[in-house]
Amino acid sequence: MSTPLIILIVLAIILVLMYNSLVAKKNQVENIFASVDTQLKKRYDLIPNLVASVSKYMDHEKSLLEEVTKLRSEANRPNISDKQKMNLDAKITKALGSIMIAVENYPDLKANENVMHLQRSLNEVEEQIAAARRAYNQAVTDYNNALEMIPTNIMASMMGYKEKDVFEITEDERKNVNVGELFSK
Amino acid sequence: MKTISELTDFYYKTLYPVLQELEEDRKALKQRVISFASVYIIAVALIALSIYKYVDIDMLFFMGVFALAGFGWLYRFLVSDYTSDFKQRVIAPLIHEIDENLDYLPELHVPVANFNRSKLFTSRPDRVSGNDYVRGKIDGIDIAFSDFHAEKRHKDSKGRESWTTIFQGLFIISDFHKTFHGETVILPDYAQSTFGDLIGSWLQTNNFSRKQLVKMDSPEFEKAFVVYGTDQVEARYILTHTLMQKLLNYKKRSKHPLYVSFIRGKIYMAIEYNDDMFEPAVFRSLLNYKIAMQYLATLHLAIGIVEELKLNQKLWSKK
Repeated sequence: MSTPLIILIVLAIILVLMYNSLVAKKNQVENIFASVDTQLKKRYDLIPNLVASVSKYMDHEKSLLEEVTKLRSEANRPNISDKQKMNLDAKITKALGSIMIAVENYPDLKANENVMHLQRSLNEVEEQIAAARRAYNQAVTDYNNALEMIPTNIMASMMGYKEKDVFEITEDERKNVNVGELFSK
Repeated sequence: MKTISELTDFYYKTLYPVLQELEEDRKALKQRVISFASVYIIAVALIALSIYKYVDIDMLFFMGVFALAGFGWLYRFLVSDYTSDFKQRVIAPLIHEIDENLDYLPELHVPVANFNRSKLFTSRPDRVSGNDYVRGKIDGIDIAFSDFHAEKRHKDSKGRESWTTIFQGLFIISDFHKTFHGETVILPDYAQSTFGDLIGSWLQTNNFSRKQLVKMDSPEFEKAFVVYGTDQVEARYILTHTLMQKLLNYKKRSKHPLYVSFIRGKIYMAIEYNDDMFEPAVFRSLLNYKIAMQYLATLHLAIGIVEELKLNQKLWSKK
């Protein structure tokens, strides 16, 4: 086999590998975003139950409950972008956190079996969402790295790939304050 | 759970009369071992001197190894009564002091099925041994651990057999109170520390004996461990920042390589010691503070896992 042919074959293999790795990274991002979505959906499903169980007790936090309900219906709208979804998710996380802290002020509510079960379920979903977000951010980081690094950046620009946003993690979450600890106080 | 200092108090205050008795036994045993060893060495030397002219060097070497193995076996026989006395009268009360719901079975070890199920090591052992099996419930959580030694058999082209150690140390199994379906395995990070970040992480990504590489978002944890799992999200669901920090603390405290896996609702931990633990020293005093601390620290470390990892935190919907 002639040398130019060998060089050509090697080059072709490198190009195919680069192409495949870029596609794999993009699909990994989409795949993990789908699992974030699943977890968010689980949380949206829990919200009406939560609001129904706590609304008659929480007189002072009515606005908070309304806010959560509004955010939920916004998030359930069809055709919202990934970026909007991320923003809504961050707002819901914050609002739910405030409701959970407010629950502490109502001893009857805190002892209610139904609410306790909801808290446990929410806590679990929160942890799952956090995990999915972390997985998503890692996948996006790997993908963005490939888009910026030589030589994959050249191929990525030819393929029209654009950098993706990561989920913003609040400072609180960075510290990993366990919602569970708030409950068990 | 009792603190180390409370246990040390118990060791010295409550067990002191027992320790004194055992110390007398130990001194007598030490004397017996020394006399026996002297006679044995003289006998072996005499035999070797009388036959060395008639046998070749290979044969002599083989006999030497045989004599050494024979001595090892006899030594174990000599100290066996003292060892079992020590375990029954010192280790067993210590374990009960930590929690009375714990059973101590000095002759047994963690079942090999558990070791295989943990998927911490890719090769299956051909021979296992171990002792000092502790099992029971702490705060309603099932826990079991023991000394464990797993070995693999090899045969060379001439058919000669040899054994290599897959793992030796403390093997711990406990319930984990989060629902998960996949497998997450955490191993000491040798690749990155040996070959650097670039080549190391390439090697880790292409480790075909393991599942997908899961990169964690904690640089300190990433430096110490490598994580493989069947599910990227689930691995992070299990390994929260808090748990990662706890595993790091645990590793720092034990100062030994740590392997952890989460499979079928259980957490498996293997702490490599390359030593048989909870064995009484024959040539050092039982009243020696350092030795006592070793027993206590190891026990505390193994049982402390429940507290440390907050496995009893009943926050999760898993019943």
